[in-house]
Amino acid sequence: MMGEDTEDNITKIVVISSDSVLPMDAAMRVYESEDAITIKETCFGTMVNGPRDAVNRVVETLRSMDRNHIFVKDRGFKPGAEVRCRAGRGGGPRPGFHFLREEVSMLPMIGRALDEYDAGEPLEEKEAPQKLDVSKLKKIIDSEL
Amino acid sequence: MSEKDKVLIALVSCGSEYAGVQKELESAASTLNAKLVYPEMDVASLDTIGMEFGLEVASPDLKLMMARAKAVVEGVAKVDGVFVTSCFRCAEAAIVRNEIRRYIFQSSGLPVISYSFTERTTAATLLTRLEALTTIARRKHLLAREHQVGITAGVDSGSTTTKAVVMKDDEIIGEGWVPTIKVLESADTALQQALDQAGLKKEDIQAIGTTGYGRFLLGEHFNADLVQEEITVNSKGAVYLADRQQGSATVIDIGGMDNKAISVQDGIPGMFTMGGICAGASGRFLEMTSKRLGVEITELGDLAVRGMQKNVEMNSYCIVFGIQSLVNSLAKGSIPEDVAAAACHSVVEQIFEQQLQEVEVKEPLILVGGSSLIAGVPKALGDLLKIDVLVPPHSQLIGAVGAALLASGYVKG
Amino acid sequence: MAKVIIYPTNSLILSDMVERFGHEPLAMMEKIREKITTIGVDSPPLNITPEGPKHGLKYAAVEVPAGVRGRMSIIGPLIDVAEAGIIVGDASISFGCMGCARTNELTKFLIREKDIPVLEIQYPHTEEEGKAFVYNIAEFLKALPSGGDDE
Repeated sequence: MMGEDTEDNITKIVVISSDSVLPMDAAMRVYESEDAITIKETCFGTMVNGPRDAVNRVVETLRSMDRNHIFVKDRGFKPGAEVRCRAGRGGGPRPGFHFLREEVSMLPMIGRALDEYDAGEPLEEKEAPQKLDVSKLKKIIDSEL
Repeated sequence: MSEKDKVLIALVSCGSEYAGVQKELESAASTLNAKLVYPEMDVASLDTIGMEFGLEVASPDLKLMMARAKAVVEGVAKVDGVFVTSCFRCAEAAIVRNEIRRYIFQSSGLPVISYSFTERTTAATLLTRLEALTTIARRKHLLAREHQVGITAGVDSGSTTTKAVVMKDDEIIGEGWVPTIKVLESADTALQQALDQAGLKKEDIQAIGTTGYGRFLLGEHFNADLVQEEITVNSKGAVYLADRQQGSATVIDIGGMDNKAISVQDGIPGMFTMGGICAGASGRFLEMTSKRLGVEITELGDLAVRGMQKNVEMNSYCIVFGIQSLVNSLAKGSIPEDVAAAACHSVVEQIFEQQLQEVEVKEPLILVGGSSLIAGVPKALGDLLKIDVLVPPHSQLIGAVGAALLASGYVKG
Repeated sequence: MAKVIIYPTNSLILSDMVERFGHEPLAMMEKIREKITTIGVDSPPLNITPEGPKHGLKYAAVEVPAGVRGRMSIIGPLIDVAEAGIIVGDASISFGCMGCARTNELTKFLIREKDIPVLEIQYPHTEEEGKAFVYNIAEFLKALPSGGDDE
């Protein structure tokens, strides 16, 4: 099991948060481009596994399909790694999954912000809410009484 | 044994994978034909589990532990036992670990043990704990046995002494007690002593059980019917000898080199802690004291009962520095009675500090092991805990009696 | 291209942003891969052996629990080579590598203590905050040596 991992094989997770690209489209694109690559669909993204250069090429191709709405991160374990497999180990979701779930829910917002940034829209400076002045607080307390 | 016979142990932990001990855990489990699993649980529950459980903690993995504990209690995760573990010296995790252990134990009736590890924790250290856990899960029927039947023998190969008994229909008819020198030879001698006293031959024994450090070696040597760690055996032996087989009890076993504190319910061990880190909490401390006082270990207890520990200042529980304190006080004119009392008190206090913090002390408190015969020890323990301490007859033979009792489950006919 | 340490160390968003703006994210995942593919080491699932917590002694004293030092043996070397850092506060639940609060406190401290540019920001909750979050990170990354819009 360890043997095949010794080459420079890597895994990346590609999360698609796009209105124009479906995970299926992305999968088809991968199959067209590289045969050394394996992919696995998960609830929160597509895992792309293979030699480092090929994975990076594929990931770049996928990103270019909708640059600001497709997100990528590295993954330590390859897809279906036995030591991390729910079927073998039983039990709950893998560590890291919970956090990924949280971040994925933010991606539409991040994507829109990236679009606006690219379009050169200015950021409105907003002052952070200040703590209430003591004298004002005193007034409120007095008025309540 | 097939996959089907495997005992499923829920691993409720916050960092064993990161502390270098995961392999040791897995290895101990597989030796016992057990499998460690992560309890299945509802991910969404993690957002609220802290408030639900009532413990707000900073570490996400501790929330995960709570959620997994809840899954076990509610039966979402089907397991036979639970191993709750966290890093040694982490206060945040210790609070969670203890409350989780209590919660699982009280709410599910599943056997649960708790342990804090360092990177130096080895499979051997974990083995006794996991063995007790798997036994409770696997052999509940055996542990339900309340009477010894037929002719059976039990051999307890301890670190300091080897004990043997021969029993017949709920009576101890022979006993042997020798210092452990070579495991097998000492065991042969002890068993022969017991047989001679009983007026029986080895062939008359219908079933034999072994326990203690040398249990595996003896198990092979005697072709034993039962080879069992001492947590299970001593719990059973203690409540049997004290005639408190039903209900709750606390068993404290102060042996020659280590000690155990076990919370027992209906003869089945629940929470327990094992010493083995500090000789100051063992019978060895008392042995050294009696040597310094120039008395036999058997006389130390009577001396201690007549003394006042308060008259001797001890600066340490340590077997080196504590003994030095005792020697200094002798030089300053302390009387041997007070020094003996101080020694008994020191051992008991160290057990209190190290171990009784982690088990619930429920009456009756049954004190067993060689040190229970030193009258100053039960007295000091009673004074410290403000409860009556029960020392059953034959309390020094606890392991051998427990093994003989449990082995009688294998008597044919 | 600058080596940028991110916190949370396993963040998808941060890892992606750093790469997107032409830098190298220093994240946990690459380290985990190194660990689990080390030949001859078989201590699943993460291959952290008792040696791990010992390597962690470089970052925390022996009185610090083994789990913290074990985690630091992975995170510490990343901090050592970092040329910049992004720390996002108010991270919601995360487990495993990021599951120990004490490790996380130490990690952030070591990043802040280092003489490198560090951006500290909170995870966004509203659309407005989201925009500020992305803009701030983008500007920070662009200001780092040889940053650019395109890789």
